[in-house]
Amino acid sequence: MNKKIKQNIAFFVFRLFSLLIVGVLISILGFIAINGIQVIDWEFLTTAPKEGMTEGGIFPAIVGTFYLVVGSLIFAVPLGVMSAIYTVEYAGNGRIVRFIRMMTNNLASIPSIVFGLFGMALFVNKLGFGDSIIAGSLTLGLLTLPIIIRTSEEALKAVPESYRTGSYALGAGKLQTIRKVILPSAMPNILTGIILSVGRVSGETAPILFTVAAYFLPSLPDSIFSQAMALPYHLYVLATSGTDVEASRPIAYGTALVLIMIVLFFNLLAAFLRQRLNKKLKQH
Amino acid sequence: MIETKNINFYYGDFHAIKNISMKMEPNTVTAFIGPSGCGKSTFLRLFNRMNDLINNTRLEGECLIKSKNIYDKSIDVDELRKDVGMVFQKPNPFPKSIFENVAYGLKVNGVKDKKFIAQKVEESLMAAALWDEVKDKLHKSAFELSGGQQQRLCIARALAVAPSVLLMDEPASALDPISTSKIEELIHQLKSNYTIVIVTHNMQQAARVSDKTGFFMMGELVEYSDTKKMFLNPDKETTQNYITGRFG
Ligand SMILES: Nc1ncnc2c1ncn2[C@@H]1O[C@H](COP(=O)(O)OP(=O)(O)OP(=O)(O)O)[C@@H](O)[C@H]1O
Ligand SMILES: [Mg+2]
Repeated sequence: MNKKIKQNIAFFVFRLFSLLIVGVLISILGFIAINGIQVIDWEFLTTAPKEGMTEGGIFPAIVGTFYLVVGSLIFAVPLGVMSAIYTVEYAGNGRIVRFIRMMTNNLASIPSIVFGLFGMALFVNKLGFGDSIIAGSLTLGLLTLPIIIRTSEEALKAVPESYRTGSYALGAGKLQTIRKVILPSAMPNILTGIILSVGRVSGETAPILFTVAAYFLPSLPDSIFSQAMALPYHLYVLATSGTDVEASRPIAYGTALVLIMIVLFFNLLAAFLRQRLNKKLKQH
Repeated sequence: MIETKNINFYYGDFHAIKNISMKMEPNTVTAFIGPSGCGKSTFLRLFNRMNDLINNTRLEGECLIKSKNIYDKSIDVDELRKDVGMVFQKPNPFPKSIFENVAYGLKVNGVKDKKFIAQKVEESLMAAALWDEVKDKLHKSAFELSGGQQQRLCIARALAVAPSVLLMDEPASALDPISTSKIEELIHQLKSNYTIVIVTHNMQQAARVSDKTGFFMMGELVEYSDTKKMFLNPDKETTQNYITGRFG
């Protein structure tokens, strides 16, 4: 066989496999969309489940997921960004930093169910928050911390060294340099990391299982110490342990579609904001 | 204005600056020349303590600016860098507007008065011969300027905090001939108000802009004298060889 033919075959195989992946993705999305779209209407998005979850909407679960996302960010963003600032801007590349980095990586590889268990032990029991939005938010925050730290570190490292030297050469201190030059130019990439972690948080089930998620709540949570429903857990309940699983099936697909839309929305938002901020940085 | 006494500087074990003593008078332009890697930039960065930012370095000897040892414990490094401005080889404006770039040094040094800042920005841009080109687009990004304009912006940025010394590390090496001659003209004008030290690889440039020239080789100051003498009738043969382009 000559070289040309071999090359063409290889190229054909590579292309086949990548098209296959796209195909798989499209079938999953298509399957969920076709099955879910029928039940989605305004009422579905704005009312609570009815008739043992075989009728009605998923409003409380949407609200619960929203609270959990916001709560986990309030906790994880400042902590993650500050920790990244410490390792990149202050700590150099010594043993402590390598140790911190190793630990962060290990944290990222812990299965999310273990976070759930830990969250239950610490926040629910030890600190006495009970099954609550705050316990769930903290647990989810821990889960996303490594993502935020990692992306923030990369963002800070991508800031050209010449900005730092330029700033110091004008008599700026370290903190001023970080605040006025480094953070603004790293912001688009930090933001991307944050939004990606939003996608992750809104989809996770295991960490909220023992820390916040309620099977069914007739009303919305009234404080951070209340339990809440959440989309991924609601989906799990609908699919496995509702009062009538068969009758709940369309609602389950509807819920799945809403969940996917939320995650996709945040991913697109990340891409969009990043582009816009980058452009603004160049103009400004 | 600047005086070094038996300065030795090390990157780890590498002896980069070898026992250099020299003096620079106020309101003069001093050029540093020498082959690549001989320590010109390293020596220049000692004057505003930029080498402090590099790990694992060591300094021996004294460096006096306005008769004060700038490596003394009582010296505030940020204050020193305000007084000893620096312009880098590659223009490095911040990703901010033209105005904000020049205002930056004032703002980080605690100046709040908006009118004062605006006035200083204008003065500095004028002093850097850039005002006429940018006065209508002060709030546009600095990245929209050409390389030569960006470099003059960086000079304006350094001038805004009212330094008395200006260090320039090959400020024109990344620029086209026209921008280069603008920078050289500028150096001429700035001389009356500042003490300038400039590193350059361009012999003609050194001859054109400087009053005194120091020739460095392998971390040593081989010869230091009036630029005229240096280029017409140097004491050392190595200097003669370098200047006439026989090596380096
Ligand atoms: N950060 C650093 N760490 C270790 N060694 C360094 C560092 N910076 C410079 N050196 C070394 O010190 C010596 C002097 O470097 P320096 O940059 O001062 O030379 P230079 O005369 O400015 O050269 P050029 O004309 O190429 O800019 C070189 O041998 C270089 O390898
Ligand atoms: Mg150099």
